[in-house]
Amino acid sequence: MTETAVADSLPSPVLAEPRPRVPAVLADDAQLIAACRRGEARAMEMLYHQYKRRVFGMAHRIVGPNDAEEVAQEVFVRVYRGLAAFRGDSALSTWIYRLTVNAALSYLARRGRRQEIPVDDSLSEVAAPPIAERDPGLAARIETALGQLPAGYRAILVLHDVEGLSHEECAEILECRVGTCKSQLHKARARMREILGTIGVSR
Amino acid sequence: MTCGEARAKLTAYLDGELEGERGSAVRGHLRTCGACRQAATDEAALRDGLRDLPPVDPPSSLWAGVQARLAQAEMADAERPAWRRALARLVPSRFVGVQLGFAGVAVALAVLLLAWRVRGPEPARIALPAPTPAPAPAPIAAGSDVTDELAAAAASETKGYADTAAELLADVAHERAHWSDDHKQAFDARVAELNKQIAAAADGRPRQKAYRALIRYLQRAAIRDDVALAGGAP
Repeated sequence: MTETAVADSLPSPVLAEPRPRVPAVLADDAQLIAACRRGEARAMEMLYHQYKRRVFGMAHRIVGPNDAEEVAQEVFVRVYRGLAAFRGDSALSTWIYRLTVNAALSYLARRGRRQEIPVDDSLSEVAAPPIAERDPGLAARIETALGQLPAGYRAILVLHDVEGLSHEECAEILECRVGTCKSQLHKARARMREILGTIGVSR
Repeated sequence: MTCGEARAKLTAYLDGELEGERGSAVRGHLRTCGACRQAATDEAALRDGLRDLPPVDPPSSLWAGVQARLAQAEMADAERPAWRRALARLVPSRFVGVQLGFAGVAVALAVLLLAWRVRGPEPARIALPAPTPAPAPAPIAAGSDVTDELAAAAASETKGYADTAAELLADVAHERAHWSDDHKQAFDARVAELNKQIAAAADGRPRQKAYRALIRYLQRAAIRDDVALAGGAP
C-alpha cells in the first residue's frame, strides 16, 4: 500500500469550519443613538426591532422561557435610559449584549438559582458518551442541557456558539480576558457533552 | 502529543484558532487516537447543534411592556427633585449609597465655598521676602463713592444667599409632600423661625449669617430626604 493509499484509508479528520460573523448593523449607529437620546419614537422603535431577537434570544436561553420577557424588558429600559451616558467606548451592539448578559445573570442571582462555576475541573478528561449523528431531537436535547448548565457557562455558550460572536466580542461583553473566555468555553462544552451523554441514554 | 494535550486544544482546534503546526499536531493525533477522534466528533456536533438552534421570536407583548416600563420610569423621574436627577446622571441609580455620598460631598463643598466667600481665604503664612515698596495708590477720581460700591457688593452677596435659599426651598418642597404631618409642621415651624431671624437681622453680615443658617437647615432636610421618608425628622 502506498503512502497516499494509507492516508486515504484513515478516517477523515474533523476539520474546523469558518464561524459565521455577526452581520453588520446599521452604519449610522451614531444617528440612531442621537435620535433615541432626543426621545424620537421612530428611532427607539428601530433600535428595538434591530436588537429584539438577539436580546430576547439571549435572555430566553440564559434565564429560561418563563422569565425571558421580563429580563428583555429590563434590558431595553436600561438601554434607552443608559444611552445618554453611552460614550461609544464599545460598539452599540456589544454594549447592548453586555447589558443583556448582566441583566440575565443578575436576575438569576436574585431568583436564587445561580450556581457556582467551579474554578477548575477535569471534565475534559471524562470520556463522554457519543452524541452521534445529527438527529431531529438534538435541538430539544441541547436546549434542555443548556438549562442544566451553571449560568456562567450558559452565557458563554449562548454568546459564542449560539449567537456566533467572536472571543474578542465575548470577552468585551463578559468583561474578562480573551484567554479566560476561551477556557470557559472549553469547560462549558465539556460539561454540555457530559450532560448530553446522560440525556442521550434515554433517547 | 498526548491525549490530554490534544483534548486541551480541541475547542481551539475545532474553532479554527490553531494554525500551522499547532493545528497539524492535533490533526495528526486525531488520525491515530479513536477516543480523541470521538470526542472531537461529539464536540463538533455540539458546536453545530448550538449554532443551528432555531431563533427564539420575542412575544408581541414585549414592545408594549418596554414602553410601559419606560413611561413608569419617566414619571418617577418627574417626581424626583432636580438635584437628584443631576446626581443620577453622574452616578448610576443602582449605586444609591454612592449618590448620597456624592450629595454629602457636594453639600460639604458648597458650605466650604460659602464660608470661604464670606470670610475670605486664609492669609498666606509663608515668609515672603520683604516687599518692594508698592506704587502709591491712584487718587480716587472725583465723584466716585467707594462706600456706595461696598454697600452694593454686600447687597449682591445677600441676594445670592436669598436666591440659594429659595432654590433649596423649592427642591425640599417636593420632598415635603411625602412627609408625615408631624414632619411637615416641624419643618415649617423651623423655616418660619429662621425666616424671622433673617428679617430681624441687620443688613450685611448679620443677615447673611441668618441666611446661611436657613441654607444649612434646608441642605440637611434635602440630604436626609430618605431618612425623613422612613420616619426620621428632617
